[in-house]
Amino acid sequence: MKETLKTMVVGVGGQGVVLLTDLLVEAALLAGIPVASSEIYGLSQRGGSVTAGITFGENTNGFIEQAGVDILIGLEPLEAQRCAAYLHRGSTVVIDNNRILPYVVNAGNAAYPDIEKFVGFLTAHIHKVIYITDDLGSIKPAVRNLYVLGKLSKEKVFPIPYECLIKAIHNIVTPDFVTASLRTFELGRNN
Amino acid sequence: MKDKVIDVLTSYSTPHELSALGNEAVARGALEAGVCGVFSYPGTPSTEISEVFNMVCNFQNNDENAKNYPELVKNKVYFEYSINEKVALEKAIAYSIGNKSALCVMKNVGMNVASDALMSVTYQTIIAPLVIVVCDDPGCHSSSNEQDSRYWGNMASVPVFNPATPEDAYRMTKEAFRLSETLRLPVLVRTTTRVSHSRGMLAYNEIKPADRVPFFDRLPEMINIPARTAAAHKKLLDKLSGDSLTPFFHEFNRRYFPGNKEYGIISSGAASSYLLEIIHRNDLSEKVEILSLGLIYPLPEKDILSFLQQGFKKILLLEELDPILENATRKIAQVHQLEIEILGKNFGGLSSTGEFSLEIMDQAISAFLGLETVKNDRVEGLGSFAQELPPRPPTLCSGCPHRASYYALKLLVPRENGEVVLCGDIGCSGLGALPPLNMIDTINHMGMSISMAQGLAEAMKGKGGKVVAMLGDGTFFHSGITSLLNAVYTKSNILVIIFDNRTIGMTGHQDHPGATHLSKYNQIEILPLLKGMGIAFAEELQPFDTRDAYHQIERALAAEGVSVLVSKAPCVFLPEYKAFVGHEDSVIAVDPSRCNTCHNHLDHAIQCSRRSSAQSSMSRAVAKIKADKPMDATELSCPANICNHGFFHSIVEKDYKTALDMVRDKLLFARTCGDICHRPCELFSGHESESIVPIRQLKKYVSGIESNFSNFSAAQAQVRNAAPKNKSVAIVGAGPAGLSAAYDLVREGYQVEVFEKEAKAGGLIRFAIPDFRMDKKGFDFEIAQLGQLGVRFHYQKALGKEIQLAQLGEDFDSVILSVGMGKINRLPVVADHLPANKWFSSLEFLKKYNDKSLPVTPGSRIFVIGGGNSAIDVARSAKRLHASNEAMISCIESMENMPAFGEEVTHAREEGVLIMPSTYVHHCESGDHVKIVLNGYISKSLLETLEVDYVVVAIDQQGQTEDYSELGAENLTEKGRIRVDKHSGASNLENVFVAGDICADNHMSLIGAIASGKRAAVGVRQKLEGYQFEYEGLQALLGLERKAEKRQASMQYDTGDNLTEALGVFDLFQSCEKCNHCIDNLGCPALIKVAGKMVIDLAKCTKCGLCIDVCPNNAISWVKKESLEIVAHERNA
Repeated sequence: MKETLKTMVVGVGGQGVVLLTDLLVEAALLAGIPVASSEIYGLSQRGGSVTAGITFGENTNGFIEQAGVDILIGLEPLEAQRCAAYLHRGSTVVIDNNRILPYVVNAGNAAYPDIEKFVGFLTAHIHKVIYITDDLGSIKPAVRNLYVLGKLSKEKVFPIPYECLIKAIHNIVTPDFVTASLRTFELGRNN
Repeated sequence: MKDKVIDVLTSYSTPHELSALGNEAVARGALEAGVCGVFSYPGTPSTEISEVFNMVCNFQNNDENAKNYPELVKNKVYFEYSINEKVALEKAIAYSIGNKSALCVMKNVGMNVASDALMSVTYQTIIAPLVIVVCDDPGCHSSSNEQDSRYWGNMASVPVFNPATPEDAYRMTKEAFRLSETLRLPVLVRTTTRVSHSRGMLAYNEIKPADRVPFFDRLPEMINIPARTAAAHKKLLDKLSGDSLTPFFHEFNRRYFPGNKEYGIISSGAASSYLLEIIHRNDLSEKVEILSLGLIYPLPEKDILSFLQQGFKKILLLEELDPILENATRKIAQVHQLEIEILGKNFGGLSSTGEFSLEIMDQAISAFLGLETVKNDRVEGLGSFAQELPPRPPTLCSGCPHRASYYALKLLVPRENGEVVLCGDIGCSGLGALPPLNMIDTINHMGMSISMAQGLAEAMKGKGGKVVAMLGDGTFFHSGITSLLNAVYTKSNILVIIFDNRTIGMTGHQDHPGATHLSKYNQIEILPLLKGMGIAFAEELQPFDTRDAYHQIERALAAEGVSVLVSKAPCVFLPEYKAFVGHEDSVIAVDPSRCNTCHNHLDHAIQCSRRSSAQSSMSRAVAKIKADKPMDATELSCPANICNHGFFHSIVEKDYKTALDMVRDKLLFARTCGDICHRPCELFSGHESESIVPIRQLKKYVSGIESNFSNFSAAQAQVRNAAPKNKSVAIVGAGPAGLSAAYDLVREGYQVEVFEKEAKAGGLIRFAIPDFRMDKKGFDFEIAQLGQLGVRFHYQKALGKEIQLAQLGEDFDSVILSVGMGKINRLPVVADHLPANKWFSSLEFLKKYNDKSLPVTPGSRIFVIGGGNSAIDVARSAKRLHASNEAMISCIESMENMPAFGEEVTHAREEGVLIMPSTYVHHCESGDHVKIVLNGYISKSLLETLEVDYVVVAIDQQGQTEDYSELGAENLTEKGRIRVDKHSGASNLENVFVAGDICADNHMSLIGAIASGKRAAVGVRQKLEGYQFEYEGLQALLGLERKAEKRQASMQYDTGDNLTEALGVFDLFQSCEKCNHCIDNLGCPALIKVAGKMVIDLAKCTKCGLCIDVCPNNAISWVKKESLEIVAHERNA
């Protein structure tokens, strides 16, 4: 891991951005990696955007900045594209093609962006893009974020060892959802 | 939850590196300091602090836990969410005076509410420590303002800690208790969102439970009276300037990178964190020395002064929001006459508004130090992807009862004219301001809704309707009660709607006095409280019963004085919601055939009600809720395909011009139909006579408005804008059928010429309909418009004489024959026995009647043979000719089966015409009078003998077949009517179409003729331009043969001022192509548009059922789960 590694998790309220953040923090702790996070979720429960920064390494506080995010986890494509300026040439991006239309798009007053075009640009310009278009119809929406985490966990740039992630899931996730979370995480990791 | 609480209470009893949320760290700090009681009100970003203590309190008061974890339960911490921050702080102060240490938690604006308590208590004394945590929100992530709560230090003269990290927050909260105890003053810990909602590494310590014995000390300071205040003030200031603060300054005001530096930076709060990160990553520790201030009030003058005196060239002040420390530093420098450049706000992009960021810090530092900092490797062109993206503001959840309340209100209160002002408030209910609901005009701070409403009502007295205040149940208890009492007291004229969703929603579903899920508290019922306030009009309403809610709100708006409605339904997140909505075995689904498409025509280029339909959708939506008589408008199909529901709703909206234009879009003879159409749309609807929508009467009404009637600009525009087809059409016969075909074809860019054997156009309508039945002048005007539109007329050109069918076929691209049935067959029983001056054919009689050349003397008895409409017309004309005339009708049909229209029969009987059904004329004899021997039709035996003066034969109309012999006798019926293709009116001859009575399948009525003319026009277009759709009114036209089930007389509605009121009982619903009503007015996240149709996202749907009430087309309904193919929405991970 380079000196500081900055991660950003973005999505829509209810997709589990905060849970994922807590998981990463817990897993980093278990791995002995210094970690901090900063979350913004005021009105997010009402379907608004949620963003969180997780920073690994000394002297960081979870703050992220433009062209300063090394790993972007986009649980919703529009929200991921909204953070385009935070990426740099060496970034790794995971985008889950799980579209949630904002009202203005649903009402026909604005267009949902051309995500494929965005992904294409990223593929050509940054280190790595993982665009999840697998058929995830059978996965409960509540644990879909674990699938995304699973997919990311295999990447070399990802600093947290597998065992720590598993342990963190046990520690953080509500008991009722632990089994489903572990299964979904493995599914993402092995798919 | 148990594990989490146990963690907080115990597992870090020895220092242990962990990561904690800033707010959790605050809570832990208080626990370790031995806090006894926590008093708070929910408010982002502070709520997590309170929630920790909420959990601890619930845990400790659980009997089972008392058994299993006696150690943890031993030192109980008291916790309450008070009714508001003022009471919370007051109670915390009182708690402290009782010798129990207290913590009070609130968000930034909460301190404004509590400030009276804070400002007074400092002049007195507290006993046990009291720490107040105030959470600011720079950048307003979830607050109405970004006020800088550090000012409370200066304002109230209390110490203020300003943590920069979660670890700071933990230590400072803990030490704040110690400082409070030392000074006998409340101490503020002021965090920001960045600190409260960040996770950082820290190590906890032991929890030392407080050893406090409660007592009340009768000290003179307990009584606050003016005699003491001046001295108290001095005492207060002395406290803050004493030495007891020194160790705290020492611990919390820290220097980084001391040494001989040119540059010095003073920072505080989150700014310090941003600063240190930038310094570290650019390796600038050699260049700067930093003084990071954690205890900022009383102002650490000595720390700042000694820092300034180190001989820096430049000093930079870094703090979010106001330049509080900056101004203090400048003062210190001035007082001590230090020559030093001090930089702060407005330098290097530093602002007093919003949060800092790494980018802002980077820019300021590089400007301050005059050097380039490490820049990240941007990707060219990537930033543009993030621009102009659709925003995603928060919305009300799917199933939120607020949406239902707002919707019912929306149907009642027109938003365009702004007469009724809607004053909203803070909380989830405030989301009603966003599109598409747009149901709020003002939002300020907690509780302002009711004050705003009564203030505005007073200012605008006499002008405009009632002012409405809307607020949630939490907000009502927080600060609405006092304002409401004032409204009652001052006899205000307002409506207050309390959205009682049984929780404080926005901050995470906390309880409040009106909705408590814990048995340890008393729940206060709102309705009795309102009654107790003396509010006469106070009612509960159920927001999801849209119809009842609508009427209740309507009554409440009309009531004088203060009226209050409590809209009561649980928040989606509460456990009781699921049982509340019920319907376990059903889901909600949209019927795509009813959503967003008009069945009537497939050709989307056809104009009908396709104007901007937001208003028409709204009137249909209101009708659906208000009206008693729902009627699917497709049942009211017009053979000319006039959009009846669009027509009807335009009238309800009082847009009579549009209503008339809708009629004229389809047919020319609006006024004439308003007079004499036999109303198949009304009669065939199968409804009870009192429940018939008076379409014809309304048609007459709107075409009676002269200014609209004489305005044919819409049709003229259609002719102008039509693409010229460069094809010509000859129409033979200028009756209603032929003229209707002409009207349609000229508006589609065809060249149309009409040939008519008489000297005037109009056919049977002109010549055979008696003048008293309709406005012939209006009819003339309507016909004349055809000339204005470009149709050419050739009069006195009869088919078979002046013009021949074959020649027309050569001269024109298409021919439409609409010559009518021009003759009455000779009836031997009359014609053979009576002189010519004693009998007439009905056509002759009526023509002469209209010409006023009928040779019938007064006092005559006229005997009419026939049971159809012309017989009735003859009889009624006969009676009108001379009041002394008598008229009688003989027909072979029974009364029920008479072919004449029911209401015509009724009119005739009312006017004294004698009708003799089931009879026939056996023979006639001439003499002084005409003798008629009448037999019964069934019995075939003599009924009676009559003496009359004239006989009129009104049966056996036939076509003059010799005129169109080219068609071939085999293609004619025995009456000479021409057989045609029922889809297009095409005859067996190429390019010859047929319309009107001469058409074999024509229904002999005005609308039948008009529709068959329109059908023939479509036939022509199919042939000549390849028009690919069938005639839009075909089904209704072919259905005309159905008899009316009942013989109803004409319905009459009073067309005065109460017309729209009277029409309000009807709800005509039908899918309208441009309906966007649910999207435009509801905005439920579970209603999404897929390929142009609405679909319910079952994963999001909470089954509140509101959309079912909302859809003006009745396209949404409950569907049993088994019957629905549920594919992607049932998940099994």
